[in-house]
Amino acid sequence: MKADVSEELKLLDEMARDFAAKELVDEREEHDRFPFAPLYDSVLSKALEVGFFAVMLPEEAGGSAEPVSALCLVLDEICQADASLGATIFTNALAQEIIRQAGGASLLAEMASEDGSFQQSLIAFPSYNNPGEVDHCARAARDAGGYELSGDVPYVVLGGVVNRALLPAKTEGPDGYSFFLVDLKSQGVEVSEPVLSLGMHSCPAVDLALGGVIGTLVGTEGEGSAYYEAAVDRLSVAAAAMAAGTMKGSFTGAFEYSKEREQGGRHIVDWSGLRIILADMAVKARAADMLVEKAAGAVDREEPGWQQQSRAAALVVGGMATDATTDGIQALGGYGYMKDYPQEKRFRDAKQIQSLLGITHMRRLEFIQRVVDGEAAW
Amino acid sequence: MIEGLTSSTLLEKHPRLEDIMCSLDTVGKMPSGVSGEIRQAVALARRFNESVARPYALELDRKMHEDPTYVPWDIVKEINRWGFYTNWIPKIYGGRGWNLGSLIPVVEELCSECAGIGNLMGVEYFGMSVLFAGWNTRITDKVCRDVVAGEKSGEPCLIAGLVTEPGAGTDAEETELLHKARVRCLARKVDGGYVVNGTKVFISNGHVSTWHISTAFEDTSRPADTMMCFAVRNDAKGFVYGRMEKKMGQKGCPASEIIFEDCFIPDEDVIINAEQIKKLKHSPRETAQQVIDFVVTLTRPGVGAMGAGVARGAFQEALAFARETEVRGKLLVNHEWAQCLLAEMYANAALARLTYMECNHITGLYGMAALLNLKPMYYYMKMMPTALLDRVMPFANRLAAVQQAFRKIIMDRQKEEDALRASGWASLSKFAATDLGIKNCHLAVELMGEAGIRHDMRAEKFLRDSKLLQIYEGTNQLNRLNLFKCLVAPAAPEALVFEE
Ligand SMILES: Cc1cc2nc3c(=O)[nH]c(=O)nc-3n(C[C@H](O)[C@H](O)[C@H](O)COP(=O)(O)OP(=O)(O)OC[C@H]3O[C@@H](n4cnc5c(N)ncnc54)[C@H](O)[C@@H]3O)c2cc1C
Repeated sequence: MKADVSEELKLLDEMARDFAAKELVDEREEHDRFPFAPLYDSVLSKALEVGFFAVMLPEEAGGSAEPVSALCLVLDEICQADASLGATIFTNALAQEIIRQAGGASLLAEMASEDGSFQQSLIAFPSYNNPGEVDHCARAARDAGGYELSGDVPYVVLGGVVNRALLPAKTEGPDGYSFFLVDLKSQGVEVSEPVLSLGMHSCPAVDLALGGVIGTLVGTEGEGSAYYEAAVDRLSVAAAAMAAGTMKGSFTGAFEYSKEREQGGRHIVDWSGLRIILADMAVKARAADMLVEKAAGAVDREEPGWQQQSRAAALVVGGMATDATTDGIQALGGYGYMKDYPQEKRFRDAKQIQSLLGITHMRRLEFIQRVVDGEAAW
Repeated sequence: MIEGLTSSTLLEKHPRLEDIMCSLDTVGKMPSGVSGEIRQAVALARRFNESVARPYALELDRKMHEDPTYVPWDIVKEINRWGFYTNWIPKIYGGRGWNLGSLIPVVEELCSECAGIGNLMGVEYFGMSVLFAGWNTRITDKVCRDVVAGEKSGEPCLIAGLVTEPGAGTDAEETELLHKARVRCLARKVDGGYVVNGTKVFISNGHVSTWHISTAFEDTSRPADTMMCFAVRNDAKGFVYGRMEKKMGQKGCPASEIIFEDCFIPDEDVIINAEQIKKLKHSPRETAQQVIDFVVTLTRPGVGAMGAGVARGAFQEALAFARETEVRGKLLVNHEWAQCLLAEMYANAALARLTYMECNHITGLYGMAALLNLKPMYYYMKMMPTALLDRVMPFANRLAAVQQAFRKIIMDRQKEEDALRASGWASLSKFAATDLGIKNCHLAVELMGEAGIRHDMRAEKFLRDSKLLQIYEGTNQLNRLNLFKCLVAPAAPEALVFEE
C-alpha cells in the first residue's frame, strides 16, 4: 500500500509500525484479557499523544487533517499487531466523521480545547450497527433547555472507557433519527458491565440505558442517516484497511511458523498441501493491499464513484480476512487454537471487523440499491 | 436385463457401489432395534440440553474466560450423573451396552447447544476407543468397570486418549508419516513392565480423567514399527500434569499437557506391544495403522457429528434472532434474502448429518464393533441380563484365549477394502461436516450483525467452538489426504501418498 505515498505519510506509517512493535506486541495476550484484566490505559494515552486519534481531524480541531489514506496506513500497521487498538481508532474516527458531516466542526474544536486525556478526547459510538437498520435508537424529547434522551442503546463501543458518546435517537416529528452528543458521566446514564465479545477485547463496548439524559443535537434533526451514510462512504475503506492489516499479520505468523515446524520429516512449508493455503493467504493479502490503496486514493481524490469503491473494498476485504485468518489458525494446527499464538485472536478480530458498520448483507443490498438508482456499477 | 455376474463386475468398477452407497447394505443388515435406541438416546440428550447445557453453557464459557485454569468438575459430575459416560460401554464390560450407532447422534445433539460440553462427553469415547482398539479384553474390562463404578459413586472416573506429542500431531495420525516423526515418548522395557518418559499435549479431558490410555514407542527412531499402547492412572508415580491450555473455544473442555517422568507401567497395564503383535497376522506397522484406524473410524464421524451440531446450533440461534429482530422496519425472518440464507444453513446442517450417518452405518458394518451389530449377537446381548454378564465377563475377559479369539476375528480377519472404506468415509465426514459446521457459524454471526459478536447471544461462541473441529482428530488437510489414500488411490495405483 506504500508504492506512491508521500514522504509525510511514509513517516506516519513508520511511526505506526514502531508504535505497534513497541507498545502492542509483547503484551498482546495480556491486553486481550480485558475485561478480566485491566484495560491498557497507558497504551491509549500514548496513542493519543502521537496523534492516532486525530489523523483526519481538521486542524482547527487540533487534528492533522490527513486524507483517508493516512488513516488506512495507520490502521493497517496497527492491526497487523493488534486490531483492538485499530477498532478504537476507527470508532473514534467514525464518530468524528459523522460530526464533521453534520457540520459540527465547532463542536470538535470545542472538545479539542479540553483537558487532553483520552477519556476526554475520544468519542464512544455504536460502530457495529447502522441505526437505520436495526433500530437501536434512544428517544429524544425537546424542551425549553434542549433535548433529553431516554431508552436503550446497546453495544456502544468505548462507552465504558471514555466520557462522551455520539448516540442515535429519534425525535418527535421527523421520520429519521438524529445524532446527539452525550456526557456519559451525567445523571441518568446507566452503563452496563463491559460486554464480552468475540474479538477486540481491549476495545470494549457497553450497553447504555438512558433516563432523561441531556444531549446536544449534532447537525439537523432527522438527518442522522444522511450523516451516517456519508461517513460510511468515507470510512468503509478504513475498515478494509483494518481487515487487510489483520490478514497480513496472520499470514506473517503462519509463514514464519511453517518454516520452523516439522511434520512427516520436513518443514511443513515444504508440503504443497500447506503451501496452497499459504498461497491463498498471501494472494488475499496482496489483493487486499491493492484494493485498499486504490479505494483510499479514490476517496481522497473524490474520483467518480469513490463512495462505492470504498464500500466495495470493505465488503470484499472484510470477507477475505475472515477466510485468511481461519487459514492462519489452520497452518499452526492445534497451536493456532491456543492463546500462546496471536492467530486465534486475529481470527476473532477479523470476524468482528467484518461486522463493523452493520449487517454485511444489508451493506450489500445498499450497494446494489445505489446501482439500481443509477450509479455506475464500476 | 444384465446377468448377475456382469452386474457385479459393473458394480465392482471404481467407484464401487458399496463404497459410495454404503447405507444400501446396512438397511437390511441393521437390527431394527437400533432405530428405537437412537430415538431414545436423542430424546435423553434433548432433555439434558434443556435442563443442563442450555442454562449453563454461557456461564461455563465465561468462567473459563475469566480463569482458564478452572477445572469443570461441576459439569463433568452432571454428565456422569445422567449416565452418558457408561451408556455406550458394552455390556460385556459392565456398561449399559447401548448401540454405538446411537452415540454419534447424541454428540450432535449436545453440540447443538454447546460443543465444549459435547466434547466433555464425547471425548470419553475417544479415550475408550483407544482402549478398545488393541482388543485387550482384560484391561478394557478393568478400566470400563472403573468408569461404571465412578458413575455409581458419583465420583466420575473418566478415560482420556493420549496420542499427540509436542513434536508430532499430524504425524501421530498416520503411519506413513509416523515413521519419519520426531516422537519423544519412549517406553523402555524393564523387568515386569516399561518405564515411560515423554510428554503428551492437547489431551482433551486430561485434567478430569482418571485413566489415561497412551501410545508410546519402544524405539523412538522407528516409531511406526514400535508403537505400543498402555493404560495408566493419574495417581501413578511419574504421571505428572502439565499445564491446561488456554484455548479460543470449547473452553469448558480442558486440554492438558501430560508428562511421564520415569513412569513405571506394569506389564498387566500394557494394552498392546511388539510381543503381542507377533501373535497377529499383520506386521507391527500394519497393526499400528489398524489400531489408529479402529480409533478414527469411530471418532472422526463423531467430530463430523460435532460439525453437524454446531451447524444446527448456529442455525437455531440465527433463526431465533431473525424471528424477533426488525431490520429496516420488517422482521428479519421476512426478508427474502434472510430466508435463502436460513435455508442454506438448514441444508448445511443436514448435509453434515448425512455424512456422519452414512459413516455410522459403515462403522456399524465394518468397524471394530461390527460384531455387536450382527442381528443374532445384537439381540442376544440385548436380552442377556446384566447381572449374569457381570458375574461371568470379568473372568472371561481376563482369559488369554478370549482375548486371542477377539483379536483373531476382528484384527486378523478384517478385510483391507473394508478397512479402507471405513477410514476413508470417517475422514470424509470429519472434514466435510466440520467445514459445513464452521460455515454456518460464520453465517450466523454475519446475519446477526452487532448481536452476532456478543457473548450473550451465543453465535460468537459457536464460531469459537467450531474452529477446533477442523483441527483435532487430524487436521482437515490430513483427513483429505487420508480420504485420497483410502478411497481414491486404490483406483489410481500410480498415486503415492505422503511421498511428495
Ligand atoms: C483442543 C484440542 C484438543 C485435542 N485433544 C486431543 C486428545 O484428546 N488426544 C490427542 O491425542 N490429541 C488431541 N489433540 C491433538 C490434535 O489431534 C492435533 O492438534 C492435530 O492432530 C494436529 O496436530 P498439530 O497440532 O501438531 O499440528 P501439525 O501436525 O504441526 O500441523 C500444522 C499444520 O501443518 C499441516 N501439515 C502437517 N503435515 C502435513 C502434510 N503431510 N501435508 C500437508 N500439511 C501438513 C497441518 O495440516 C497443519 O495445517 C487435540 C488438539 C486440540 C487443539
